[in-house]
Amino acid sequence: MIRALLVGRVAGTRTGATWTGVSSATALGVAAGVAAAAGLSLVAGLIDLTERGQNTPELLVAGGLGGVLASVAASRIRRPARILFSDILCGTTVALLAMVAGVAGLYLLTGTVERLEDALFEAVSGCTTTALSVVDPNTLGRGLLFVRSGSQWLGGLGALVLAVVILPFRGDGGEFADRSGADGRKPLAPNHRTALRNVVAIYVPVCLILWVAYAAAGAGGFGSLLLSMATVSTGGFVGPGDPLATGAVRWVAIIGMAVAGTSVVVLWRLVAGRGRGLLRSRELRSYLFLLVVATALFTVWNGPGGVSGIREALFTVTSAVSTTGFASSPAGEWSAAAPVLLLLLVAIGPMSGSVGGGFQLLRLRLLLKAATREMVRQLHPRVVARIRVGDRVASENTVRQATVVQFVFVSLLFVTALVVAAFGTELVTALSAAVHALATAGPVRTLDGLVLDPSDWSRSARLSLVPAMVAGRLYFYPAAIAAGTLGSHVGDLLQVRRRWRRWRTGTTK
Amino acid sequence: MTGMRSRWATTTGHLTGLALLFVSAGMGLGAAVELVEGPDGAGMLLASILTGGLGLLLWRMTRPGGLDHATVFTAVGGTWLIVSVVGALPYLLAGTFERPGVGFSVAFADALFESISGYTASGSTVFGLHNPIVEQGAGLLLYRQLTQWIGGMGIVVLVVTVLPSVRAAGLGLIDAEAPGSGVDRLAPRVADTARRFWLLYLALTLLVAVSLLAAGMSLFDAICHALSTASTGGFSTQDASLGHWDSVVIEIVVMLGLVIAAANFTLHARSLPARRPVHYRDPEFRGYLAVLSVGTLLVTWMLVAEGYGFLASLRNAAFNVVSLGTSGGFGNATGGGGIGDYAAWPAGPQVFLLFLLIFGGCTGSTSGGVKIMRLRIGAAHAYRTLRLIRRPRAVLPVRIGNQVVADHLVERIAGFVVVYGMFLAGGTLVVSALGSDLPTALSGTFSALGNMGPALGDAGPTASYVDGFSTPARMVLAFLMLVGRLEIFPMILMLVVPYRVLQRHSSAVGLFRWRSRRSG
Repeated sequence: MIRALLVGRVAGTRTGATWTGVSSATALGVAAGVAAAAGLSLVAGLIDLTERGQNTPELLVAGGLGGVLASVAASRIRRPARILFSDILCGTTVALLAMVAGVAGLYLLTGTVERLEDALFEAVSGCTTTALSVVDPNTLGRGLLFVRSGSQWLGGLGALVLAVVILPFRGDGGEFADRSGADGRKPLAPNHRTALRNVVAIYVPVCLILWVAYAAAGAGGFGSLLLSMATVSTGGFVGPGDPLATGAVRWVAIIGMAVAGTSVVVLWRLVAGRGRGLLRSRELRSYLFLLVVATALFTVWNGPGGVSGIREALFTVTSAVSTTGFASSPAGEWSAAAPVLLLLLVAIGPMSGSVGGGFQLLRLRLLLKAATREMVRQLHPRVVARIRVGDRVASENTVRQATVVQFVFVSLLFVTALVVAAFGTELVTALSAAVHALATAGPVRTLDGLVLDPSDWSRSARLSLVPAMVAGRLYFYPAAIAAGTLGSHVGDLLQVRRRWRRWRTGTTK
Repeated sequence: MTGMRSRWATTTGHLTGLALLFVSAGMGLGAAVELVEGPDGAGMLLASILTGGLGLLLWRMTRPGGLDHATVFTAVGGTWLIVSVVGALPYLLAGTFERPGVGFSVAFADALFESISGYTASGSTVFGLHNPIVEQGAGLLLYRQLTQWIGGMGIVVLVVTVLPSVRAAGLGLIDAEAPGSGVDRLAPRVADTARRFWLLYLALTLLVAVSLLAAGMSLFDAICHALSTASTGGFSTQDASLGHWDSVVIEIVVMLGLVIAAANFTLHARSLPARRPVHYRDPEFRGYLAVLSVGTLLVTWMLVAEGYGFLASLRNAAFNVVSLGTSGGFGNATGGGGIGDYAAWPAGPQVFLLFLLIFGGCTGSTSGGVKIMRLRIGAAHAYRTLRLIRRPRAVLPVRIGNQVVADHLVERIAGFVVVYGMFLAGGTLVVSALGSDLPTALSGTFSALGNMGPALGDAGPTASYVDGFSTPARMVLAFLMLVGRLEIFPMILMLVVPYRVLQRHSSAVGLFRWRSRRSG
């Protein structure tokens, strides 16, 4: 059914009266989100049995009920006459929100948090892979720890599906998708179905490999599972204690985060045996260059040197660029430029087509090229110049959407920072929190590099980060389109325009 | 005619020569006052003579050359750069920034910073507790205010008023210098258009000066503050800026002056023959007033929520929102940490002020920043693009009010916003790497690029830039002020012509042989 929705055809299981595209997509989104939360709850309930099982009954019952609810909802969905791209984005957004609601419900049901706002914040942070947490993992059983990490894992998978399976086919960056099967190549995304299968075929094995690697590095069986889920999804939630304490675990995390921030197209080419000449990819080279230069700057500015110093710098930088958000304490005194560099790295983010958030490198390269073209146009106003990134020519639509994403990113950044600051947070914290929420990265730090605990912020400040996290996870403009589509649909349902016109003209009809 | 032809054909040199003559006149005026009332008359007079001599030499030795796009950028960028550097002479020769424990390089850097801050009408200053403004001579202070006044309307616009030889191409020169996305002709001849702009500017300055005089300022202070109000510069003759007077009436006069100066001068010019204001028909002006009004109410509300009194909050919110929203940069703090010192405000209003540092006033005004028109077009462009995703076959033009904005203009503005954002991010990183903390570096970069004046953090309205930034960081900010004043492209593209000349002349000696090998 999901595939059918993606390709814009049939979305229903019932015939008869048709629904509008947005209604079907929204309903399917709700069903998918609830199903994801229910599945997570069931698995978490079973995992909880391996320990004391204190939350097993609630998790299993909630999972069962959620599953039934999702099945019933899915079976009631009717076929639309047609589905627009905006409807699909609407469904995706609603799916994320429904999953958030489901996970928040689990936190409330199990007594993890007492207040609805805290449950919502924790659930949004998990499902959007942001890693800003108000829950102390040392107080949680295995089931709930799995719910936290699992929500990130599902959120990461959803983001990857959106980036590789949905947006390139109908939205921006289609020319950069790996679609062509010429010369006997195996492309990543020749069609929706194969793309979805290939994404899962990369995401799950990478997670399993990381699990084994973490375990081999000494992070323990369950701790390694949580770490691998947090790493592959660029989530950043960790288990109790300090699982990233040892050097070996940190090296695994560095490699894992770097891989998670790599475009799935690059990973697919490696898997499909098309790794030769991979380093000719401009975006991959930019990504590696960013990691190396930022690490060098960080080491020079903050010290200490040596292998452990470089490892710490690499860990902090990779965590920021990939928007994973694993926390690390500063080894010494940070220079004034270090927090600025980290904020900038978080805002830039990793490669496009990866799980990471932020602005992403492809868009940044497009903007740089667009800026250069504008300078050329200042000298030669009538020049016809196309923007080329790597071996592909970017369509004007893609360039336009990149500039719009920049506009939306900056606007949301300021609005979020303003609201967070208005609720009593100090200037640096408000700006940092807004950047991290939009880039779906954690943790927020002080100017000295110390990690801030979001529990210390007011509830209103935390809640005001929620829209930014959701928009960031949905790559900004899909969220705006979904909001617009839903808004106009609700407006149509409530006949807002007609009432407004009637009120203005003063007619009673 | 034959003599003219034997001169060196360089638009940049000719323009710069004439501009230096104007600058020299400003220095001469300051020197005259200083000779009567201050200790540094001789130094200033020497600076004036040197500048005048250099200007005369350049002007007489050169004639206007070509005026293609690249030459226009070089001419405008080069003129601004040379005027800013030469403009530091009075400070250097008067020894203004020499103090114990500070070498010549720092004193030179400070003089250069103050000069650039003046000509770009930024209003950031390196005077402070270590070197108070009130200890300077009257002539030097007058010159300092005049730098803002000359730079406010634009040196090139000033030059074009007396430079008939550039004819229609003069519009390109004005275009490259003027804030916004193009200049409307007020008269058939370009020189007449430039002259009308300057006459309006002069009239506004006189109006503000008379009003300030009536509000209780001395004649000297009224003239000085009128010069920096009309130019939305923000320099003051007092260390506490307008906080020295602590007068609501003076603040209101300055606020009104700033609001008029940061509005489009074309609207002022069109209001005169119509005998009534035509401003409210302009969508940009309406947006500009909305930003200032909503901003004032929002900041007042946030200050009241922090426990300040309503009237004090309203007064300080209105003044500082207008001051930063118009890129004025005056302060009304009576002391550090008071309600007028917005660097000590809670974070909410400070984030809003950061907004304003980017916004700026209207196109075709003396203000800096991105400008309301560009932001409106950017927002309309974003809205159009999002709507196109929902309705791929729709034909949706970008509209501002009833006017359709051409796509090439939309792309130009989108490109400008992209480059502006990159300068903001890069500048913040570099300034912080040179020792400033995040709020100071961020707001300092925003302020410099928007020609605003004071910043937040350690460079607030009651502090000096010496307190917040190291000497190299101040030089970076000075460069950003020039980049921001000319709205980015001229300062970058001014290097194109020198590069081409260098390439042409060097090819003979093989400097660029590697390039031809590559292309071959």
